[in-house]
Amino acid sequence: MIQHFPVLSVMVLFFSAFLIEIVGKKEILRNVIAFLAVTASLVMLACLIPSVMIDGQVISYWMGGWAPESGYAIGIGYEVDSLSLLFALLGITAYWLSCVYSFGYMKGKQNLGHYYTLFLMLAGASVGFFLTGDIFNMFIMMEIVTFSAVALTAANTDKLTAIEGAFKYLVNCSIGSSMMLAGIALLYMNCHTLNLAQLSAILPGSFNSTTLLAFALILTGFCVESAMIPFHPSFVDAHTVAPSSVSMILSGMVLKLGVYGIIRLSYIIFRVIDTSAIQVMLTLIGTVTMFIGVTMALAQHDFKRLLAFHSVSQLGYIIAAAGLCTTLGLNASLYHAVNHTLFKGLLFLCAGAVIHSTGTSDLDSLGGLSKRMPKTCICFVIGAFSISGLPPFNGFVSKWMIYQAVYEKAMQTGNFFYVVVTVTALVVSVMTLASFVKVLHSVFFGQLRKEHEDVKEVSPIMLIPMGIMSFLCIFTGIFYREFDRVFINSAVTSAFDNIDYVDGMMGDGYSVTYGLAGLTGGNLEFSYWNPYVWLSLFLMVFAAAVLVTLIMGRTTGRTLESGEDYDSAYGTGDLSVDFRGQTHESGDPEEKYAVFFSGEKAEYSHAGGSDLFWGFKYNWHRYYEVLQGLHSGSVNDYSIYAVIMISMLCIFMYIFMR
Amino acid sequence: MILGNYIVSVFLIVLGLWTLCTQKNLIKVVLGLGIIDYGVNLLIVSAGFNEGGTAPIYNLAELARREAVFFVDPVPQALTLTSIVIGACVDAMALSIVIMIKKRYGTVDADEVRRLRG
Repeated sequence: MIQHFPVLSVMVLFFSAFLIEIVGKKEILRNVIAFLAVTASLVMLACLIPSVMIDGQVISYWMGGWAPESGYAIGIGYEVDSLSLLFALLGITAYWLSCVYSFGYMKGKQNLGHYYTLFLMLAGASVGFFLTGDIFNMFIMMEIVTFSAVALTAANTDKLTAIEGAFKYLVNCSIGSSMMLAGIALLYMNCHTLNLAQLSAILPGSFNSTTLLAFALILTGFCVESAMIPFHPSFVDAHTVAPSSVSMILSGMVLKLGVYGIIRLSYIIFRVIDTSAIQVMLTLIGTVTMFIGVTMALAQHDFKRLLAFHSVSQLGYIIAAAGLCTTLGLNASLYHAVNHTLFKGLLFLCAGAVIHSTGTSDLDSLGGLSKRMPKTCICFVIGAFSISGLPPFNGFVSKWMIYQAVYEKAMQTGNFFYVVVTVTALVVSVMTLASFVKVLHSVFFGQLRKEHEDVKEVSPIMLIPMGIMSFLCIFTGIFYREFDRVFINSAVTSAFDNIDYVDGMMGDGYSVTYGLAGLTGGNLEFSYWNPYVWLSLFLMVFAAAVLVTLIMGRTTGRTLESGEDYDSAYGTGDLSVDFRGQTHESGDPEEKYAVFFSGEKAEYSHAGGSDLFWGFKYNWHRYYEVLQGLHSGSVNDYSIYAVIMISMLCIFMYIFMR
Repeated sequence: MILGNYIVSVFLIVLGLWTLCTQKNLIKVVLGLGIIDYGVNLLIVSAGFNEGGTAPIYNLAELARREAVFFVDPVPQALTLTSIVIGACVDAMALSIVIMIKKRYGTVDADEVRRLRG
């Protein structure tokens, strides 16, 4: 019975997608079908946890009963080991929450029948991608994901630019999947099979130039899917303009397809992760991605675009940790992948709630919403603290593990590169916190805008998913040992030891004929340095900061006498030039900034999103000029970056792996 | 000649990528995507080709006599069919999006369709 669950959990989603298209305009029936389909899939995958995660079984299922014949896989198979189940569960949880959120968020929009059809296809294809045991099937699932994601993005009627983001996303993903298909063709030429288990028995240790090229091309496909630099700009565009319930999926979930692909490819199928060249390459790509993502995020004015750049940055963490090839590194990587889905989904849902209530996502025209939307504000604070890695939220645990893994790797290999990675990871985390302080300040705190006086809290159906995600963020942060032991450790074991994976699919003893042996990645036992010490440190720093604010926050300088205008008290001399060095045409300073210079002339004095950290941005303006010039928005430029990256990966393989 | 197939398929892939990188017209960009697909399809079909092989249609009695059986690998052809369908979908979808871009932006020039940037 249980071996039918993987394929059923995918089929129920695809089947309901077409059922919804038939039901069409009946809203309640449509919502019920969508909800039941996602719930059924979630329940079926959850039923697999005891046997796969805890007992360590590998569940294999051959479509149409086409079992392998004399050592060759004929049919298409589904294969579930702990690694795939971890990602599939993560995915279907995100889809469940997003589906519930959509009932509130998308209410009243046009063509909702198509929305839920595409949504369920996206869900089915993502789960199928994780569960399948056939590399060509992986490619097809990736294409379905791309289609549905593009259509869902383009169908956003609220944003005029949605269509542009969708087009760039489609072009970029198509380049990636075409390269992946070319790689699959080269693999088939050499191995005459498409089955992942059989490939992972044949390939390790027997490389020639064709399979190396195939590896480079398939890796390109997965790097595109996980928005590694330099493929990230078009993903950021699409995440910005999609409806928030879809942005949450695209940013939190669909990027994980690439992560899963890279881990599956380099750890299990090709098993090249134990060479130091590949380790350095993956870690380097991840590190550069995390740095560029976070620095670009600091300069953003759009709520969702900022979150999208943070996603890119966090994906950098995940890939950098996965490239270490230590058990602790992979453990940290998978934990951070889970956490990223949780907190980034939460943040996008909060952004969606803000957009739903106020109708804008521009950070400069929001403010003070904590008074009107307190529950959304609390959820956002939890998400922001999680992504910035503050204890006791989940981001702290996984980032801590990443620092420790990279640091241990640096100690182990004596390679100075890993020291740089450790420092970069810490700096990026600080910048993430700074960026979210900016968002918190300019959206939820400060002064409420006049036009948002009558803003209301969103409906409970939208608050429930946000509440669940906040709870999960705290849960995985506090009960990290239990969560880690049940979910992550078994996935790490299955990634490092692929003998079970091969034997589970191809029959017992198959791996012996190819002389497979498990990777050695060091000790699975890892020790956290006690987080509570760091919690108390944080509290001490926080208390000090509060104290300083209280003391320094008293009024200094003289107050205006009654009847005295601030112009006469302080003079208007050079105020026509504001602190940005911009001269205002009218000759008056912008009223908003007058408060920073002297009296309370401006009635409204909220520091907007672009005002915080302007000093930082000014000091880095050369860097930002170059980088913002590179994010030019032109589809041709993005294709040029893609071609450069593809050629660099291919050349790298031929230089270092031959 | 099978080597010719490989050369042409690589040439098509490179031509498609060149189109993506240099052509400003979005319709031409979509054509570039199509050309990459065709190159990859040619590569897959060539992967299954056996010089002098026949069509892979046999009954069991013929299969039992091993010496008579020499055929072209059918799996890549199935893959190519799937890939052609997917490629056609990509092109259709991309072209329909270009139509929407023309409606909303009034242009199909890649240099002007870049409101999302920075």
